Amino acid sequence: MFPLIFANIKMMARNRQAIFWALFFPLMLVVVFGLFDFNGVGVADVAVIDQSGGPRAEVFRDRLEAIEFLELEYEDISPAEAREKVADGNLGYLIIVPELFDDPAGQAQARGPGPVSLIYNTRNPDRNQLVDGAVRNLVSDIHSEGAPVVPSLLVTADVIQVPEVDYFDNVLLGLLGLGIMTNSIISIAVRISTFRNQSILKRLLVTPLSIWKFFAAEITAHVLLAMVQAGIILAVGVFVFGGKVHGNILWVLAITALGAIVFLNIGFILSAWAKSPAAASGMGNAVAFPIMFLAGTFFSTAALPWILPQLSLALPLTPMLGALRDVAIDSEPIWDTWPYLAALGGWVVATGLAAIKVFKFG
Amino acid sequence: MEPAVQVENLVKRFGSFTAVDGVSFGVERGEVFGILGPNGAGKTTTLEIIESLQKPTEGRISVLGLDVQSKASEVKARIGVQLQASAYYGYLNLKEILSLLGSFYPSKASPESLLDQVGLADKAASRIAELSGGQQQRFAVAASLVNNPEVVILDEPTTGLDPQARRNLWGLIREVNQRGVTVLLTTHYMEEAEALCGRLAIMDHGKIMALDTPRNLINGLEASYTVKLTMEKPMTESQLKSLNGGVEVVQSGEQTGEDAQAENTYLLRLANSPSALKAMLDEISKAGLGLENLQVTPVTLEDVFLELTGSELRD
Repeated sequence: MFPLIFANIKMMARNRQAIFWALFFPLMLVVVFGLFDFNGVGVADVAVIDQSGGPRAEVFRDRLEAIEFLELEYEDISPAEAREKVADGNLGYLIIVPELFDDPAGQAQARGPGPVSLIYNTRNPDRNQLVDGAVRNLVSDIHSEGAPVVPSLLVTADVIQVPEVDYFDNVLLGLLGLGIMTNSIISIAVRISTFRNQSILKRLLVTPLSIWKFFAAEITAHVLLAMVQAGIILAVGVFVFGGKVHGNILWVLAITALGAIVFLNIGFILSAWAKSPAAASGMGNAVAFPIMFLAGTFFSTAALPWILPQLSLALPLTPMLGALRDVAIDSEPIWDTWPYLAALGGWVVATGLAAIKVFKFG
Repeated sequence: MEPAVQVENLVKRFGSFTAVDGVSFGVERGEVFGILGPNGAGKTTTLEIIESLQKPTEGRISVLGLDVQSKASEVKARIGVQLQASAYYGYLNLKEILSLLGSFYPSKASPESLLDQVGLADKAASRIAELSGGQQQRFAVAASLVNNPEVVILDEPTTGLDPQARRNLWGLIREVNQRGVTVLLTTHYMEEAEALCGRLAIMDHGKIMALDTPRNLINGLEASYTVKLTMEKPMTESQLKSLNGGVEVVQSGEQTGEDAQAENTYLLRLANSPSALKAMLDEISKAGLGLENLQVTPVTLEDVFLELTGSELRD
């Protein structure tokens, strides 16, 4: 038996590609989980519309900027448009600094400094509480340097009611994206690698079947499978675990199909490099898992440090999840998610061209 | 009518290694043409270039009058190919695989009749993994016929089969050929080449060493018999020379290396005349050399190969 044990160890050690990915995978999970700041609240994106333009408003903005968990955006946007973005969930918070903020005469006439408006939706109660408190304290602080003030009159909160969405609803769509991504990448990479190792691809190559037809047939079959998979995941989530999907299910399936094509293309690319089906599986996992965490499948990417939240925007799962959540949770029509769809379309083209370039039959 | 396959000055290099080195031959329509050679001779590379799986470094190849480089798709539609090592979809049954492969071609044979031709009609619903080695090879031949091809290219069709299965497959290949299909095959079995091929190219180290009918190749040798002598004692060089009557000594001493008597075993070739054998035996008797064993066999392709390459056919 011992010679067999030694022979097994030797064979495993010699399959270097497979062993590399086997080790790479758990190490990568350690790194990814280490990167998340699970104890923090993440970053709140805040748009500030300054209607005052005075020095005190500038101090207010500077001190807002100094608050670590707030990320300020100064967009040239009307209050109505900004409010709509908050309602849609595309913007966390909107602060409107009123005209009279810096105008003592006007304030005297209005019998007060004129309230700062803080606008947010009901989606994230914990973070809302924190941001609301921080803004009130800051405004109160700035105004208390002048005449006595009544703190409750300094800030008015405009809370926009949005459909109730709990963590599970968000995660359900994350799981849908995750399922489609891992299945598409790994199953096609392993399948093609197996076909290549068994010379099935070579056998097809001696027939007049054109390469694009081969790709199209593989992709179509897998996209149909992905849509069935999506239907099952959503059905179990909604009917068994009480998840909620508010939007049009057909649009959800259309986004799923588009995302699946991107991940199938990635699977084709990996299959060109993998020397065995085991290595293809390892490579597929190694690609899928960082994307899974960095694209906000389970946790908000706001909890990531450094430039990783920005990096997450460059991953193909991010626009897929963005579009899925906009359509399924916020009931947006699919055409309103066009920036996400355009990003996914770009991924389809880029990965498709790369797959055609690197793919090998033999 | 154009030849079925025409290969002119074919060269294929992989880096500094030349796998095929200036090969030219033509396969006439309706014949069984074989390429015989050891592993690594360049047979498979030659076939894969004909099948447009690989690009030649130099040279021109046409199949049924069509250039394989510029008309690859048309060529593929009219030839049938059995690769040396290829598998088929494991989750489809035999009938489904043939049906799928047939769908890639403009002309297709019915899966049932193909399975019937190769004696696998009762296995139509089975999967590849459920077949024996011989059945798998027969299925591979059936799969090469899905498009009613004018030329079938079979790369070592019987490698790994037991003698019975090999002979069954020979019968099948003859049947296919009798229906008018040109067969181009490679083999490293002399017996197979002799039994099946109308004409034969002997290939080694990327070159064609000879090309003719098996009979002409054999007749082309000066000797017609091989004599294997096992002596009681080793013979000297001069004793050996006196025996062979002007015909070559192929191997002597340890070169044969086959059995315990190897060092006293000698392989000679004799001309096709009864007197040559008699003269040799007289010589042995006159010199008082003890003869332990004597085997006389007609020369075969093995001897032709030995003559052409200076070595035995290696696996």
